[in-house]
Amino acid sequence: MIHVDKLTKQFKDLREGHVTVLDSVSFEVKPGEIFGLLGPNGAGKTTCLRILSTVLQPSSGRAFVAGYDVAEHPEDVRANIGFMSCNTGIYDRMTAWEMVEYYGRLYGIPETQLRERLEQIFTQLQMNDFRDVFCSKMSTGMKQKVSIARTIVHDPPVLIFDEPTSGLDVLVARAVLQAVEQLRDAGKCIIFSTHIMREVEKLCNRVAIIHKGRILATGTVEELVEKYNQPDIEEVFFALIERSDHPAEAVT
Amino acid sequence: MSWKNVKLIFLREVRDQLRDRRTLFMVAVLPLLLYPSLGIGLISQLTSVNEQTRTVVALGANDLPQPALIDGDHFVHLKDDHLGSSADAEISFDNIRVVTPENLTTFSEEDQKALSGFIDKAKQRQTELERLAWLQSQLPAEVPETYTPEQSRMRHEEFELRDSLQSLFDGGKVQVLIVFPADFNRRLTSIEESLASGEIGANETINIPAPVVIYNGANEKSGLAFSTVASALRSWERELLSRRLRRLDLPSSLPRPVQPVAADLAQAEELAANMWSKLFPALLVMMSVTGAFYPAVDLGAGEKERGTMETLLISPATRTEIVLGKFFTVMLFSLTTALLNVLSMGITGLQMASQVGASSPQLGDMSLPSWPSLMAVVLIAIPLASLFSALSLAIAMFARSSKEGQYYLSPLLMATLGLTMFCSNPTYELDPYKSVLPVIGPALLLKALLLGTMPPVELLGYTATVLAASAFYSGCAIWWAIELFQREDVLFREVERFDPRLWIRHLLRDKEPTPTRGEAVFCFVIIAVLQFVFMMRMPAILAANNSPSALPILQTIYLIVTVALPPALMAILLTSDPLGTLRLRLPSQSRMEGISDVVSFIANPVKALFRRMLRRPGLGMMVVGFVLPIVLLPISLELINSLSWFFPPAPPGMDRVMEGMQSSQVPVWLSLVAFAVAPAFCEELAFRGFILSGLQKSRNKWVPIIVSAVLFGMIHLIPKQIFNASLLGLVLGLLAVRSRSLWPGVIFHLIYNGMQVGMARMQPEWLESGVAKLFFTVDMSSGSPDPRFNMLTLLISGLASAVLIGGLIRRHSESEPSPSMNLEGEPTPHAV
Repeated sequence: MIHVDKLTKQFKDLREGHVTVLDSVSFEVKPGEIFGLLGPNGAGKTTCLRILSTVLQPSSGRAFVAGYDVAEHPEDVRANIGFMSCNTGIYDRMTAWEMVEYYGRLYGIPETQLRERLEQIFTQLQMNDFRDVFCSKMSTGMKQKVSIARTIVHDPPVLIFDEPTSGLDVLVARAVLQAVEQLRDAGKCIIFSTHIMREVEKLCNRVAIIHKGRILATGTVEELVEKYNQPDIEEVFFALIERSDHPAEAVT
Repeated sequence: MSWKNVKLIFLREVRDQLRDRRTLFMVAVLPLLLYPSLGIGLISQLTSVNEQTRTVVALGANDLPQPALIDGDHFVHLKDDHLGSSADAEISFDNIRVVTPENLTTFSEEDQKALSGFIDKAKQRQTELERLAWLQSQLPAEVPETYTPEQSRMRHEEFELRDSLQSLFDGGKVQVLIVFPADFNRRLTSIEESLASGEIGANETINIPAPVVIYNGANEKSGLAFSTVASALRSWERELLSRRLRRLDLPSSLPRPVQPVAADLAQAEELAANMWSKLFPALLVMMSVTGAFYPAVDLGAGEKERGTMETLLISPATRTEIVLGKFFTVMLFSLTTALLNVLSMGITGLQMASQVGASSPQLGDMSLPSWPSLMAVVLIAIPLASLFSALSLAIAMFARSSKEGQYYLSPLLMATLGLTMFCSNPTYELDPYKSVLPVIGPALLLKALLLGTMPPVELLGYTATVLAASAFYSGCAIWWAIELFQREDVLFREVERFDPRLWIRHLLRDKEPTPTRGEAVFCFVIIAVLQFVFMMRMPAILAANNSPSALPILQTIYLIVTVALPPALMAILLTSDPLGTLRLRLPSQSRMEGISDVVSFIANPVKALFRRMLRRPGLGMMVVGFVLPIVLLPISLELINSLSWFFPPAPPGMDRVMEGMQSSQVPVWLSLVAFAVAPAFCEELAFRGFILSGLQKSRNKWVPIIVSAVLFGMIHLIPKQIFNASLLGLVLGLLAVRSRSLWPGVIFHLIYNGMQVGMARMQPEWLESGVAKLFFTVDMSSGSPDPRFNMLTLLISGLASAVLIGGLIRRHSESEPSPSMNLEGEPTPHAV
């Protein structure tokens, strides 16, 4: 469902000149699987996912989402993905219902179908208590639920979560992770970026460790632990980052 | 693009704005409250200003000749029927109280104390005051270059006196002091008697001690009181004069040999129209800006700040749809704000008129303009709102945060304020040229509509052009907003610390082969500023040097310094490929092909032009650069001539430049250098070199050419030349982009300008020759021979130009994007 091939992205920066944020990144994600993108802050996770959601244009390389090239058919790609990140805010002066309904309409869902879908989502995510509350008046947990509802309103085959739990308290984070799990079980193709190891261990079928714009390793958690001979994914992660930052020391 | 999405976004944004109390306050509540409260404030202020009495102290007024000047503590109103004296009649004496030592007892005790103190002081210094008045009357009103010793002594004395008397009015109790000389009545009467008895002949001067009026012009109250006092004294003096004449058995109309009378045709409603025609356009423009700006900032920068922009970006709506949806929202609010403001102001005006009107008829009838005029206000508000909405939205998209966005409001507001100030000037009226200008066009049209003095047919024509031009400008602004919205560096601009050192290092280190768009625009700004400085200095330099060659020499220096130098330096400093940026390389093509092109051109010109010259850039393009100006000149000159009614007349300074081209005292080679060679090299280097290269970073194939052409036009300053140069700029831009070289354009420019120099120097006799008759008809209608190209020349010129330019255009639209367009994001070797 997601096919990324040698994706590269460069930015201009005053201090650094041309910065390669994403360097020839390739991976693949199949339906019914959660692919974890694990990396420290500034590793290029958000840039990669923004390219997949067509908000940014790749400098070179190609990416296909649900069969569409992100650079050539951005509208088709956007119609087939649900994207959620800490940057995708919700409108303060709209109620939960209005917010989700608005996006449903933008996705072109017919009105009667949309109403059914909304009722279903609001029940499923237990959002009926605050369906007419303005988003500005909501708690973080409620807001996160609205965001999830907004992400899945058009029932997209591909879902992209960019650090969806960052800044959330444990209860809300758990609810979000459960929602992601349910979506996987419904056969969605999910890509999930995070810097929290626990989430990766719990959730991801496969994981890619990304650092300074490059993918250092890809595989299931077990494969990686075995391959790099470390006790858990956390140690694998630090070992890989260490090796990439100081290649000479790693050899000795 | 789906209009359904635009509508969805529009409806959501409108609802969102309506739920925002700040916006509602700005758009609806503020105008509805502002004007009534301003009105109430104004009325109370007006009445308090009027009721404030001013005090005039008159010394020696106890014995004045008849008729009475002062009655009790007021001046007496005397009849006066001189032309223009109706203005005097409007001056009310009611709020001036006249205090004399005699009527002092009629005032309150407190006043008496203060006033008697003043009177005593004034009496003490009476001689000094009289001396001061005499000195001021003797000294010239305007400060001369040099004083005579006598004058300088007097000036010195006057200065000292004035300084020492400065404190006279301190305390603010008294505004004006009148001092009548002692025995004024007696001495005047004796003069009257001498006159009546014939003792004073026609040749004798009558010396009469003058009454002195002392005031302080720097104090507004004192100044106002003085003008009232002056008016009272004036009519009193006229009355005394007519009595004197009667005594001498002369008609009282003697000093008025002409006795002109005036008739005022203004009707009450016209006076009102005049007032509204000043207020409404300014208000409409200002309020369209503010009404657009705040929602725009909220919808653009605000949404970025709140993080909802990215949510919207990942919805299926395209960026064009998002911008349009937001644009219509902003426009709705801009329109509503503007119209509510006008409405509220109109109603307040009416209210005020009905309150104040009864007591002060000079305010005139404030009745609102007729219904059709009001409909016009609504109609004109639309183009204004759409332009400002698109502009504000583009600015708001660019801003990183709402706070940054707010900062951009004041420059926009200042610019529009400047434009509206122009428009409220009564001498500034709508003409064809102004009707196509942004903001000025609609504002002047509205003024004309409200004044109602323009014939309807003309008005209708202007309405059409104003609306069309405004639609065009709004379209450009929306396009700009969309363009900005497509750019990642604008969408995801991060708030970063600005460090000039870092930035300069970045500019010099991270060079790209061609300049950025920002650098291109900056280059233009530098040229424009330098040009402005040069233009300011030019008259002084020319005045100092009277030789006819001064102007061409100066023109050449000007072109090299201000037009050629900035792009050349910028290309060397800021790009890694200055030669490529300035397109200084020859059109690439092997020599053999070039020669075969020429051969085939000679053998079969039309076919060759089609098949070779345009297909492969190379020597062929040089030939095009050579041929095109020759065939283009007649038709383009004719076009400009036939449109000259449209443009305002050239400023007088232009004559001098024309002289520089024509004058036989200037050697031909110098004229050619100044007006053909230098412009060709310098202007091409700047506009088709650096600026066009920078603008070509845009994805669009046509926009860079159009923008560079318009910028090229703009440095020509005079509207007619701006139009002409912009059109030529299009052709030159095409030529430069197609050939990837500056040289065909340089040749074009050189020949085009050279031919104009040649035509300017054409001798009248030459026009009589047989060859000239092939091309020209001589138009004698203006008195002097005015050669115009004849129909056949124009026809050939038009056709040939169309073929050549059409070929360029077709090749350009078929061409692959130029290499510089693909460079974005690609790693570029750093200059070492």
